[in-house]
Amino acid sequence: MASSRALMASPRFVCRSCSRQARNSNPYRRSYATASSQPSSQDIYDVVCIGGGPAGLSLLTALRANPTTSRLRVALVEAQDLSKTASLSLPPTQFSNRCSSVTPTTAQYLNTIGAWRHMQRNRIQEFHEMQVWDGVTDARIEFDLQPGFSASTGNVIAYMTENLNMTSGLLKRINELGGVDVFDASRVEKITLGEESEEMDLREWPIVHLQSGKSLAARLLVGADGANSPVRSFARIESRGWDYNRHGLVATLELEGDGWGGEYHKTAYQRFLPTGPVAMLPLPGKYATLVWSTTPENAVLLKKLPAKDFIALVNAAFRLSPVDLAYMHTQATGQEEELAWRTQHTPFDSRSIPQLAVGVQEGSIASFPLKLRHADTYIGERIALVGDAAHTVHPLAGQGLNQGQGDIQSLVKAIEYAVAHGQDLGTQMSLESYNSERYAANHVLMGVCDKIHKLYSVGSGPLIPLRSLGLKAANALGPLKNFFMEQASGRGLKV
Amino acid sequence: MAAPTRAATKALRRLPVPRPLLQATAIPVAGAATTPPFAAQAQQPRWHSASASSSVNPNEVSHFNALAAEWWDPHGSSRLLHLMNPLRHDFIRSCLQSSDSAPRVDDHNADGTVTYLDIGCGGGIFAESAARLPSTKHVTAIDPTPSVLSVAKAHARKDPLLAKKLSYKQSSIEQLQVPAEGQGYDIVSLFEVIEHIDDPGAFLDKVRPFVKPGGWLVMSTIARTWISWLTTNLIAEDILRIVPPGTHDWNKYLNEEELRGFLAGKGWDSANVMGVVYVPGLGWKEVKGSEKVGNYFFAVRKV
Repeated sequence: MASSRALMASPRFVCRSCSRQARNSNPYRRSYATASSQPSSQDIYDVVCIGGGPAGLSLLTALRANPTTSRLRVALVEAQDLSKTASLSLPPTQFSNRCSSVTPTTAQYLNTIGAWRHMQRNRIQEFHEMQVWDGVTDARIEFDLQPGFSASTGNVIAYMTENLNMTSGLLKRINELGGVDVFDASRVEKITLGEESEEMDLREWPIVHLQSGKSLAARLLVGADGANSPVRSFARIESRGWDYNRHGLVATLELEGDGWGGEYHKTAYQRFLPTGPVAMLPLPGKYATLVWSTTPENAVLLKKLPAKDFIALVNAAFRLSPVDLAYMHTQATGQEEELAWRTQHTPFDSRSIPQLAVGVQEGSIASFPLKLRHADTYIGERIALVGDAAHTVHPLAGQGLNQGQGDIQSLVKAIEYAVAHGQDLGTQMSLESYNSERYAANHVLMGVCDKIHKLYSVGSGPLIPLRSLGLKAANALGPLKNFFMEQASGRGLKV
Repeated sequence: MAAPTRAATKALRRLPVPRPLLQATAIPVAGAATTPPFAAQAQQPRWHSASASSSVNPNEVSHFNALAAEWWDPHGSSRLLHLMNPLRHDFIRSCLQSSDSAPRVDDHNADGTVTYLDIGCGGGIFAESAARLPSTKHVTAIDPTPSVLSVAKAHARKDPLLAKKLSYKQSSIEQLQVPAEGQGYDIVSLFEVIEHIDDPGAFLDKVRPFVKPGGWLVMSTIARTWISWLTTNLIAEDILRIVPPGTHDWNKYLNEEELRGFLAGKGWDSANVMGVVYVPGLGWKEVKGSEKVGNYFFAVRKV
C-alpha cells in the first residue's frame, strides 16, 4: 500500500506538494475555471477527514481496519505537525493536562480497531469507584462495585488517559495499517464545491483546498475539526447552545500517596460547588488530574497564584464549606496558611475525600470556557460532522470524548453498510442512520449534563434540600445507582 | 421516514401495509401518478417497431418526464425504491451463497468478476449500486424510455468510479444482442418490471438466453392478493384517489406460484424467494411468508 505516502509527511509528499505549488503559481486563485484544473483521479478520495484529534484519527483507523471499508481511498488533513503527537515521550512522572475518562465501551472499540495496544498502558489509570457529593449539604452518592455489575470488564468504571496518549496510539495504528494519505501541518485555505467537466460532474462534491495548493475532492467530507468546525460552516449547518459563563480549569497534581485504596483500587472524586463541579481523577502512581469548573474570575486568580497557594485552594475545594472557599478566593495570596487554620475547624471524613495534593506540575494549569453547543444536524450531502464539531458538552460527566467515539462507531457502521450494498457512501441517504442513531443519544446526554450543572449551581433556597434528598435516595437505591454507573461507564441503556 | 408526498402514495399503491388506516392518515392529497422504473412509452413506437413481439406495453402510460427529476431525490417519489435497494443485494447474496459454483459478491477483496444485466433500469438505482460493488466487473443497464435513461446517465457522471463499470443502453430486451450459447451475464435483474409486462411467460423465455449457465435471474414484484388489491387499488386509487384510477393493473400482479409455473421445465432450478414488507419508521424488513401477500423477491438459477 501507499506506505511511503502514509503518515508523517515523507520527503515524497513534500516534493509533490511543492511541485504542485510551483505549477499553480498563484495559490489564491479563486476557483477552477477550466476543465483542465478539475482534480485528477489522484485527488479524488472516498473519505476526507479534517481534524486529527481522537475522533478523526479513530475514524480513519476504523475505516482502515475494517475489511469492508479498507479499500476506500482516505485522507486526513490536520493543521498540526502529527510527528510530534505520534512520538509521545514524557517521563512517567509527567502527564499532559488534557486528560479524558475513557469508558469501557470506548476502550473496547479502540481495542477492536487495534489502537488500544499502541497506547502506553503505564500511562492509563483505571478507576473502580466514584465519590460524588454535594458541596452545600454533603449529601453523598458512592458508586462502587455492585454485585453483578459488569464482571466482563473487570469492574472498571472508566480509564483515565491523556488525550495525547490516545492520539499517539491511534497514529501508530494508522501507520501500521498504512493507506491513509496524511496532510499534516496543512492549513485548509477554503472548501468549495467541484465543477463539471467532460468526464465527470463534481458539482455536489466538496473540494478541500490546502494552502500548499493541493486540492482534494471528497465523496464524503468528515468534519472532525472541533467546536468551530469549518466543515460545519461550509455545509451551512447551524450550531446552537449557550455559554455557561464558567471556565474549565485543568492541572496535573501530585498527591501525598497512591490513594486510599492503594495502587490497584483507585477512586474518582467529584464535588458539586455552587460555582461548578470540581473533580479529581486518578492518574498512575501518585498523580491525579484536576478538572475544576469555576467562574472566569476564579479561574484567573487560580492561574495567577503561587503553586503552594494554588494547591491549598484545590485542597480547600474538596474540604471546606462553600462560604470559606469563596472567602479564600478573595485573598490575593496566603491561601496555604488560611487552609491550615480553617481545616482545624472543619470536620470531614478524610477517607471519603481525595488525598491531599502536595504538588502541581509546572505549566499544567490551563483553562478554557465551557459551552453547550449542538449542531442542527450531523449530516449534509457528502458531509458528516463528528465529535466536537457536532456537539460540545459540559465536561462534568466526562462524556465528551466518549460521545465522539460513539459517533465514529455509528458513522463507520453506516459507511460499511453503504459500501457492502453499493450505495454512494457520501449521500444523505447513506448517512441517515448515523444522524438518527447519534443525534437523539447525544441530545439526551447533553441535556442531562446541562440540567445537573444548573441544579448544582444553586447555592441556597428550596432546591437544596430537594437535590440532597434526591442524591441520598439514589444512594440508597442499588438499581438506580447501577443505572447511573452504567451510564457513566458507557454500558448503560442507549439513551 | 418517508416524505409524506408521493412516496406515501407509492407505499399504498404497492405494498401490503400492516395498518392501512394509520398509514392513510399520513397521506396528503395526491400528486401525479408514478410508475415503476420499467414502463413503455406509447408515444415512442419506434422502440418496439424493431420487433413485432415487443414486451414493452404501449398502453402503460408514462409519467417519467415528471418523475425523472425526482428519481434521485432521497425524499422524492422514489424513496421507497431507494430504501428497498440494499435488500436486493442481500437477496442476491443469499442466492449466491446457496450455490457454491456461483460467483460470489460478498468477497470485498475480490477484484471484479461478476457481470450484471439490469433490465428496466430506470434512473439506475440498482444499476449504480451493483456497479459500485468491488466484486462487480461490469453492469449493462437497459431501459426503453429515453428521458429516464438520460437521468440515469447524468446521475452516473456524479460518481467518477462508475464510468468504467456501468454502461446504459436505450433498448428493449428484443433489441439487445443475444449472447452466444454458454455465454451471458452472471446476474440478470428484473426489479419491479414483470408486473408491467403483458405476457410474462413469453418475456421470461426471451430473457433466458442472457443468463450465463449457472447464473441467476433475479426479480421482484407484488403478489396478487386481497391485501395488495385493498392497499394498492381500492384505497389508493378508488377511495383516496391519491393515485389516478387505472395506474395499477392489479390483474397483472404475479403470485409466486405463477412465476414458478412460467419457469417450470425451462431449464431453471434453485428457486429462492424472500418476502419483504415496508414498515413505516423502520423501513423494509424481510418477513417470512409475506411473499404470499405483497412485495417479494424471486430468483432462479440457470441450469
